[in-house]
Amino acid sequence: MYPDIQVDSRDVTPLWKQIEESIRRLISSGALLPGAPVPSVRDLARELRINPATVARAYQRLMEARLLIARRGEGTYVSVSPPVMEKSERLRLVRETAQRYAIAAASAGSTEKEMLTEAAAAWRRLGSAERGEKK
Amino acid sequence: MTFEEAPVRTDQLTIRYGRKTACSVISLQIEKGSVYALLGRNGAGKSSLMRCLLGQLKADHGSAFLFGRDSWKRRSALMHRVGFVPEQPDMPPEMTARQLASFCAPFYPSWDEVGFNERLRRSSIRPNARTRDLSRGQRGMLSLALALAHHPELLLLDDPTLGLDVVARKSVYDDLIGDMADRLTTVLITTHDIQGIETIADQVGILKNGELLIDRPIEEMKATFRLLRYPGSSHWAQASPTDSPNLFHTASSRRRLDSMEVVVDDFTEAKFERFRAQDGMEGAASETMSLEEILIAVTGEESEQAS
Repeated sequence: MYPDIQVDSRDVTPLWKQIEESIRRLISSGALLPGAPVPSVRDLARELRINPATVARAYQRLMEARLLIARRGEGTYVSVSPPVMEKSERLRLVRETAQRYAIAAASAGSTEKEMLTEAAAAWRRLGSAERGEKK
Repeated sequence: MTFEEAPVRTDQLTIRYGRKTACSVISLQIEKGSVYALLGRNGAGKSSLMRCLLGQLKADHGSAFLFGRDSWKRRSALMHRVGFVPEQPDMPPEMTARQLASFCAPFYPSWDEVGFNERLRRSSIRPNARTRDLSRGQRGMLSLALALAHHPELLLLDDPTLGLDVVARKSVYDDLIGDMADRLTTVLITTHDIQGIETIADQVGILKNGELLIDRPIEEMKATFRLLRYPGSSHWAQASPTDSPNLFHTASSRRRLDSMEVVVDDFTEAKFERFRAQDGMEGAASETMSLEEILIAVTGEESEQAS
C-alpha cells in the first residue's frame, strides 16, 4: 500500500530519524518519484503504529530540506525538483550514518578492516540508480 | 505566547490503603501531546495513581493536578476535559450501546454523536446490541468510543488492550493514533502490551511497589540502557574503586555459565571503549534492549538484583 517506509523499534536511532532516512533513501533511489504523494501523517502513524508527532517531526525536517512539500488541504508530496543536497548537509548525513555503522560493527566485535570491507561491499551491491549515477 | 498548564502533574503524591503504600511520593509531569506509558507489575500502584488523577481517590499526602487544578477538589469541572477507559469496563449488561451514549452525552457539551456512531460501525457494534452480548474486544472498543466521543484533551487508559485479540488490539491502537493525530490528545496509558506501546509512547514511567523508579523520555532510555556481556564470573561491584571511572551504573546483573550479563543504564560509546580496554575485557560486547527487556531489568523480575 505505502512505499517501503519502515522503522525498527530495536534500533536505537530515534524513530523520527529512521523515517526521515527511509524517505530520503526512497527519493534518492527513485522509488518515490518527484511529485508523488506521501502518506498523511495520520495514515503513516497508524500504518507503522507510531506516535503521529514522530511522523510529523520527520516530515517537518524533510520539508525544511525541501525534499517534501505540503499543499494546503491536499496532502504532502515529493518535491518536483528535489534540491541537490549541499555538500555540508551531505557530509553531515553520511557521517552520522557511518558513525552508527561503526558503533554497531565495534559492538559486534568487528575489526576495522572487516568493517571497511563490508561497507564497500554494500556500496557495490547497490544498483546504479541508488548510487545516484546517471543512466 | 500563553502559558499552558501541563495536562497532568503530581507533586509528592502518596496513597495508602491502611498500612500498605500504593503510591509513594510520586512527582511526575506529562506535557500536552505527550504519550506517557506507566509500566509495572500488577499491584505496583498504576491503577491507584489513575484513580487519584480522576479524583476518585484522595491522596494521603501531596497532590494531583489536571490542567493545573486539583483533581480531588475540582473533579466535576475537570471531567469534561478527560476521557477514561477503565481496566474492566463495567457497563450495565442490559443497556445497549445507543442507550449508553444517550446517558453519557448530556454531561458533555462537546459530545460528537457522528464520530461515536462511526466508531461503532468500524468495530461492527450494532447500536441496539446489549453490552452483555458484545465480545470482549467490542466492549473494549465501545468503552474507548465513549471515552473519545466528547473530544477529551486528556485520555487516561488503564490497560485498554488487556485480554483483546490481535485484531481488536489493532483497532484500539488505530483509534488512539488517529485521535492523537487529529487533536494532539495527551495520553496516560498503563498496559501489559509493552511491545505495542513502545513505538507510540514518548515518555516512560516504571512503578515498583508504589515507587516511581524511572521517569524518562523513551528515546533517552533506549540510548542509555544496554546489556553488556563479558567473559568471567565476577561483577565489577567487586572491582577496586580506582577502576570506577571505567564502570557503568548497574540496573541488574546475572551470572551465566562462563560469562556475565549486566544491564547498565548510563551507557556511552566512549565509556564502553574504556571499559573494553581493561584487562580481560577485550571480548566484552554490548546489545541494545527493547522496552520490555528494560522493564524486566529495572523491576527485577526474573533476575537477581545487583548488590
